[in-house]
Amino acid sequence: MITSTAAKVKVDPRDAKLSMAHFFVAFSALALGGLMGLLQTLVRSGKWELPWGIDYYQILTVHGVLMGLVLTTFFIMGFQYAAVSRTTGGHSSAARRAGWIGFWVMLVGTLMAATMVLLKEASVLYTFYAPLKAHWIFYLGLTFVIVGSWIDGAAQIMTYARWRKNNPGQPSPLLSFMAVINTVMWIVATLGVAATVLFQLLPWSLGLVDTVDVLVSRTLFWYFGHPLVYFWLLPAYMCWYAIIPKIIGGKIFSDSLARLSFILFLLFSIPVGFHHQLTEPGIDPAWKFFQVILTFMVVIPSLMTAFSLFATFERYGRSKGATGLFGWFRVLPWGDARFIVPFIGMAAFIPAGAGGIINASNQMDQVVHNTIWITGHFHLTAATSVVLTFFGISYWLVPHLTGRRLTKAMNKLAIIQAWVWFIGMVFMSGSMHIQGLLGGPRRSAFSTYGGSEQAAEWIPYQIAQAVGGTILFLGIILVLIIFVNLAFFAPKGEEEFPVAEAENPEEKAPMVFENWKLWLGITAALILFAYTIPFIDIIQNAPPGSKGFQTWSKW
Amino acid sequence: MAKTVLKTNQKTEMEDRSSLKGTLASVFFLGIFIIVTWVSVYYLFVDRF
Ligand code: HEM
Ligand SMILES: [Cu+2]
Repeated sequence: MITSTAAKVKVDPRDAKLSMAHFFVAFSALALGGLMGLLQTLVRSGKWELPWGIDYYQILTVHGVLMGLVLTTFFIMGFQYAAVSRTTGGHSSAARRAGWIGFWVMLVGTLMAATMVLLKEASVLYTFYAPLKAHWIFYLGLTFVIVGSWIDGAAQIMTYARWRKNNPGQPSPLLSFMAVINTVMWIVATLGVAATVLFQLLPWSLGLVDTVDVLVSRTLFWYFGHPLVYFWLLPAYMCWYAIIPKIIGGKIFSDSLARLSFILFLLFSIPVGFHHQLTEPGIDPAWKFFQVILTFMVVIPSLMTAFSLFATFERYGRSKGATGLFGWFRVLPWGDARFIVPFIGMAAFIPAGAGGIINASNQMDQVVHNTIWITGHFHLTAATSVVLTFFGISYWLVPHLTGRRLTKAMNKLAIIQAWVWFIGMVFMSGSMHIQGLLGGPRRSAFSTYGGSEQAAEWIPYQIAQAVGGTILFLGIILVLIIFVNLAFFAPKGEEEFPVAEAENPEEKAPMVFENWKLWLGITAALILFAYTIPFIDIIQNAPPGSKGFQTWSKW
Repeated sequence: MAKTVLKTNQKTEMEDRSSLKGTLASVFFLGIFIIVTWVSVYYLFVDRF
């Protein structure tokens, strides 16, 4: 009874409009960024060259910025905004106004940065490492994106706070709680990148100062850069923990376990940025090692998630009468795109996670650092686990928001889409991993490196990447067809926004999980502990600052 | 005789419903996969450095 009424709960149409606005930007970024990805693999195969003086590092910047920053941030903000609306009963008009302001500020910032990249004023890749120097409008645009995301995220926090006030002593709805954890983590993390952009890169690109402290700016970037990847991942986990069980007809294995794992992600995602700087001189190895230990703490909530998903599936399967060790696996709803598309994402997280543990293993990082293995790794994490889950979400969320239905034909096309993606990624990411182990560098156009023997070994793998990239691009075309269909052409109707219930609803989540003073306090303490001393050391023993460099060809 | 058969049937079914044996096997598989990949790259590391 409760379930059947809950199924009818709709996101308020005014909130739906704002979510859809985010999705239009996100899927436009996917279209353009996907084309760049294809071109990159073609260039790297050595069989094709970019026309009209377009430069490899320019399209690589476009790809990284659009896929890594624009697609993700806009999709996540749109999804979380809808999830909070759905589970709290809707946003207030003040929160909605904040959401719209945030959206527009982010969009203006995106357009400013994009214009500079297209004018070849900012081929600095999506990490914009100093001493590569972009036009100041690029950095100002990024500032707008960050500030806009804070305002946008404030909408979710406002609505969450109102719900808490109206329901004293009650644990908040799981999806809202998760969305707010992710937004809070994002705000704490972006303080670092905002600091380097505002205090270092903007004054430097404006010519107010001549030099920049490279290590300080890279350290502030990676203080942000690691939680960035968890900011991408947690919305996928929201779907896996709290939505997928409903889609398959099962229950959440444990509501408290889900909340605890999100809190652990908040605590341990931030004080670990040094694991991206393990080969970097100028940072005390003892502090690198300490952050490596904290990095391994993140393995705990990841494995908790794996356990709880397996358990949800097994419980459901056995309730359907499945027997034996793995009988439950067979009765899962393999014909339902809302399930299988994110499921392929989950499966990809197994090799992705294993690769991540290798990357983080202090000394072993030397085997893979700055090789194309890394690119292979995050095309499994971000470009498969995360985006396939995002696609799977949009296949029901877009029609839910536009008052349409996911038809049988589109459901089938969506399943094909996910398999095409999977096959393309096996080729592309697989060959990137191997080429990386053979020493092939990332962020590199085609080169024979002066006829080197070792570089010749890499070429077959680069050709395999082009094959995979072509298949993946077909996958992107399918996603776009489905998205446009669901947004504009699918038949009118009702599509459910699935929200799962816990297996034991009488077991209320402990209220300590909602104690923000406590969790933010521990987060701050861990960050201060992990960063204060090494950061003082970095500043006190800094080499002379560097002037700016522009290594790329200009128009 | 017939009674005993019925009893065993019921018992297995009860056990099966709440069992998380498959989950245990799956997380073991996951752990082994992680260790095997890690060790293979570890040997590559030892070989090279
Ligand atoms: C058609 C699908 C895709 C193809 C063919 C593709 C291809 C590539 C290639 C070849 C590179 C590395 C080039 C190099 O290091 O020189 C790359 C980098 C990258 N890709 Fe993709 N990719 C695709 C989809 C995605 C998606 C969906 C995401 C994110 C959600 C993504 C995020 C990134 C990022 C962040 C980089 C790093 C850029 C950099 O190093 O500055 N890609 N991609
Ligand atoms: Cu990281």
